Amino acid sequence: MNNHNSSSLKDSDILYKKVIEEIKDYAIILLDKNGIIRNWNKGAEKIKQYHEHEILGKHFSIFYLEEDLESNLPFKLLTEAKETGRAAQEGWRKRKDESKFWGSISITAIHDDAGNVISYCKVTKDLTEKKLVEDTLRSNEERYHRMIAEVEDYAIILLNPDGTIENWNAGAEKIKGYKSQDVLGKSFHIFYTEEDQVQGLPDKLLNIAKAQGKATHEGWRVRKDGTKFWGSVVITTLHNENRRIIGFSKVTRDLTQQKIAQEQLNVYTRELELQNSELEQFAYVASHDLQEPLRKIQTFTELIKENFEDKEFTTKYLNKLDSSAKRMSKLIKSLLEYSRLTKEKDEYNEAEVDLNSLVKDIKQDFELLIEEKNAIIDCDLLPSVTGNRTQLGQVFSNLISNSLKFAQVAPVIKIRSQIVPKSKIIGAPEYLSDFDYTYISVEDNGIGFEQKYSNLIFTLFQRLHGKNEYSGTGIGLALCKKIIENHNGFVSATGKLGKGATFHIYLPA
Amino acid sequence: MNEPRKCLIIDDDEDDQEIFKMCLRTVNKDINCVGVFNGQEAIDMLKASDEYVPQHIFLDVNMPKMNGIECLRILRHIPELKNTKIFMYSTTSEKSVLEESMKLGAEKYIVKPAKTSELKKILSEILL
Repeated sequence: MNNHNSSSLKDSDILYKKVIEEIKDYAIILLDKNGIIRNWNKGAEKIKQYHEHEILGKHFSIFYLEEDLESNLPFKLLTEAKETGRAAQEGWRKRKDESKFWGSISITAIHDDAGNVISYCKVTKDLTEKKLVEDTLRSNEERYHRMIAEVEDYAIILLNPDGTIENWNAGAEKIKGYKSQDVLGKSFHIFYTEEDQVQGLPDKLLNIAKAQGKATHEGWRVRKDGTKFWGSVVITTLHNENRRIIGFSKVTRDLTQQKIAQEQLNVYTRELELQNSELEQFAYVASHDLQEPLRKIQTFTELIKENFEDKEFTTKYLNKLDSSAKRMSKLIKSLLEYSRLTKEKDEYNEAEVDLNSLVKDIKQDFELLIEEKNAIIDCDLLPSVTGNRTQLGQVFSNLISNSLKFAQVAPVIKIRSQIVPKSKIIGAPEYLSDFDYTYISVEDNGIGFEQKYSNLIFTLFQRLHGKNEYSGTGIGLALCKKIIENHNGFVSATGKLGKGATFHIYLPA
Repeated sequence: MNEPRKCLIIDDDEDDQEIFKMCLRTVNKDINCVGVFNGQEAIDMLKASDEYVPQHIFLDVNMPKMNGIECLRILRHIPELKNTKIFMYSTTSEKSVLEESMKLGAEKYIVKPAKTSELKKILSEILL
């Protein structure tokens, strides 16, 4: 029985030894208590390249690199194994041919029955390939992060599913003005205008992104310093492998320059269109409105010729002839004045115009008339606008003069102002640029007009009343309109017959 | 026997009315011509009286408060005037105005001539 046991023990010993010898994936070597290599296996030969006869008897520190030898790493590992039973480490080691490999090492202390360390078993796995792959991945990841971080022209930010900001890049700082510490953790709502926030735009966009994968939008956004920029935004929903939403990427481009350029283009196009239609109108008016006095001059001349012996008749008609000629002259002067209002940059004296002093001057001009009519001009504190003082003066002068003229009771003229965005302008034409405007209203309590004529009154020479009722050539409002349009603004009027009229002036703020 | 013919001119311009009446008198001194300065006044006057029915109405186009086309539209709806001939009498010769007035039932569109002889000729043809 003993024989049987000891022979089977011996068999299993031999088998065990063979197992260790033949394993090729792991270097399994035995060190004596000083670290000298006593045993070698096929795995060790494969990984470290030494043959058994070359390496037995050498110290295991032969596999270590210079810097590890200097820092005493082999000794430290042995000591750790001795004290705690085991030491494990991952690091670079060198082969026989001096090439490096990344090893995962484990050193286990072997004890006798008394608990003394009699040997160390060192198991090494070559993880070089894995390490290289990991390193490449990490360096790629780093490059990727660097790429996003350093891109300056696009704000590329990462949002959490709840819309709070997780990540920030150089572009975001450049475009929006915030540094990353200012915004991390905050909601991306802060970049939106108050109006957009009130209307729930940010969350609407997130919802679209959730439903359709991405949401795009162009609109005004707000920087840290409160100034606005025109942003082109793409919000993309990010999913993990299980299709769960893990966040959103938000890429924003600052297109303010393009927007301004586009608006400028629109302005120029509109100017061209205006000039064309003005030319048409001018030609029409010139031929039409001048025809009447001209015709009369011809008729009167004919009548005078036929009746030249009748002194009374002749005198009467010579006077009429004179009136017609004068009227024609006045019309032509008005036409010329109107046509001279072209927007030529060199003639156009642009400056900051203080509207308060403007109105004050006008009040002074009309002092006598105001007193005569017991009129009250109630004017708010008005802002300054950029433009031509003379022309703007003409606008207010015309409006105030009209309010004083077309009145049956003591005129009360109210002048108010506020800043409004384009969206708040009623009847704003499409060509009007999408910026903020200074809105000035001039309201009176005069005879008013029927709302259906609200556009007609701005037509050149168009009058709502006969020559005998109220004086005028019918050019005042046409002039106002042209001047305001030259200033890239917009003017309109609302009225109620018998109650009064209000003129609405919008000038770029 | 025959009542003298009546004619009405609606024109806001004093001079034009005077010239018109002068020429009319030369063509036919028996025609009774009334002048009114705006469309509303004319309509009120015509609606107020059943007896006053002019055979001819001369209607200017460019007038404040109510222009000639508006006025024409209303006049053509007054039953008493169904036999009255309405002539547009205007400085403007725009096609659209011309077409509109013919559509609304004007008899003819007269462009105010510069020469009185021209006007007299036109009037004599109408009043023949």
